Amino acid sequence: MKRDGLGALATVLGGVILVAVIAWLIVLASPHQPALTSNPDGTITIGGTTYNHVTLSIATYPDSLFGARGSGGAHPDWVSYSNDNLVVPAHSAVTMTVRQYDTGGEPNNPYFAKVVGTVGGTETINGTSVTSIPVNDVAHTFTLREIAGNAPYLYLNAPLPAVSASAANTLHIGHGTYPKPNVVTFTFITKGKGVYLWNCEFPCGDSVSGFGGAMSTYGYMSGTLTVN
Amino acid sequence: MTNENKEKQGKLRWGELITVWLVLTILTVTGSLTIIPHLMPRAASSTMHLNILTVVVFSVTAAPVGSFVYAIAAYGLRNWRAGSGDEPPADGPPLRGNNVVTIVWIVVSTFLCVFLLVWGLAALSSDSSAAANSTFKVDVTGQQWLWTFHYPGTSVTTESLYLPEGKTVTFEVTSLDVVHGFWIEQMGVKIDANPGEVTTISVTPDKLGTFDVRCTEFCGLYHAFMTTQVHVVTPTKYHAWLQAQQA
Repeated sequence: MKRDGLGALATVLGGVILVAVIAWLIVLASPHQPALTSNPDGTITIGGTTYNHVTLSIATYPDSLFGARGSGGAHPDWVSYSNDNLVVPAHSAVTMTVRQYDTGGEPNNPYFAKVVGTVGGTETINGTSVTSIPVNDVAHTFTLREIAGNAPYLYLNAPLPAVSASAANTLHIGHGTYPKPNVVTFTFITKGKGVYLWNCEFPCGDSVSGFGGAMSTYGYMSGTLTVN
Repeated sequence: MTNENKEKQGKLRWGELITVWLVLTILTVTGSLTIIPHLMPRAASSTMHLNILTVVVFSVTAAPVGSFVYAIAAYGLRNWRAGSGDEPPADGPPLRGNNVVTIVWIVVSTFLCVFLLVWGLAALSSDSSAAANSTFKVDVTGQQWLWTFHYPGTSVTTESLYLPEGKTVTFEVTSLDVVHGFWIEQMGVKIDANPGEVTTISVTPDKLGTFDVRCTEFCGLYHAFMTTQVHVVTPTKYHAWLQAQQA
């Protein structure tokens, strides 16, 4: 009887430890890059309202040879954003600059070639203001939405145009060599504090739908935007 | 086994069993009527009202049956449990030839099954008639990990859904990649979004407000965050919104 009781206790303890180890592994698999915090840039008046203005600069690469992974990590050939952990202040105007170094094509849904949710519904590409880009010229998107229950409703889509496949790789950045990027800039107004999710809506990963691999692994083509 | 236990095992005290059954039935019926409606999303369509009513009615119908099983289990545990150190009794002989029990079992089971069948067919018929009367359609597209909505006859596509109150809408649902599940919690609308196929479902929103859309089929890394909102507005506001989107 006493041995049976000890056996049951050991079984329960073993189960608890197993669950804890699984939870720990899940936490390790979650986004854990160092936070990229926005830089203050005075104030800006938009639509008659003056906002605290900040700037944030990130990039998209055709590989993982730069950014938080340094020399490439486990999948040096996977496409990647330079950062996956962005931090900005609440109720502020955030001007984001994305340097886009990758080639592209057509997204699964042409809707993601349209600029949505930015100030004026526009973005600038190499200095030219646009409301959308050609559907067959999308490399990636920066698509942001709230995590329901964690932040106020928000939706933003900024399509990032492709670099020509024949462009010469002339820029040495980190361990990679890249063509001259398309520089995309857009501004949006943050809402209340909370955690928002962003990801790419161009099928740039593996598998049939193009949403495997880099698209389905933390730290490559998705991340969080923390508003505090 | 002690003589006392043998004596206890041999007698079935119907009064005790029926008392336990009645108490459990009253508790579960009361819980079904008072608690279950509050566990469901607040209704924003007649479909959801019917869904809540269906869950309550089915729970109330099942309460006496479930309570009877638990009453027998509780009675058995209390009265037929082998005492400490006793050898557990061997299984008793099979019971056959009790016509009363057999007839009651068949009649009650048949009545309950027919009742649930008729209720279900009536609910399906109600859904079908709503779809037949609908001329207003919205194309719903699921893709990892967002919903998009296109309003046929217009150039409008959005990532959150706008609907006019009181007008029956038919959703034509599909997916661009893997299987998703289109679910408007408060409207009782839930249907799979399959790649290469169009599935349809209709509903008539009857409450103004903002409601929740979720994906109900595990569709990858950010399945849990594949959510958006439905805004039900007055028909006047809906048309103003649609015109503004096309401007």
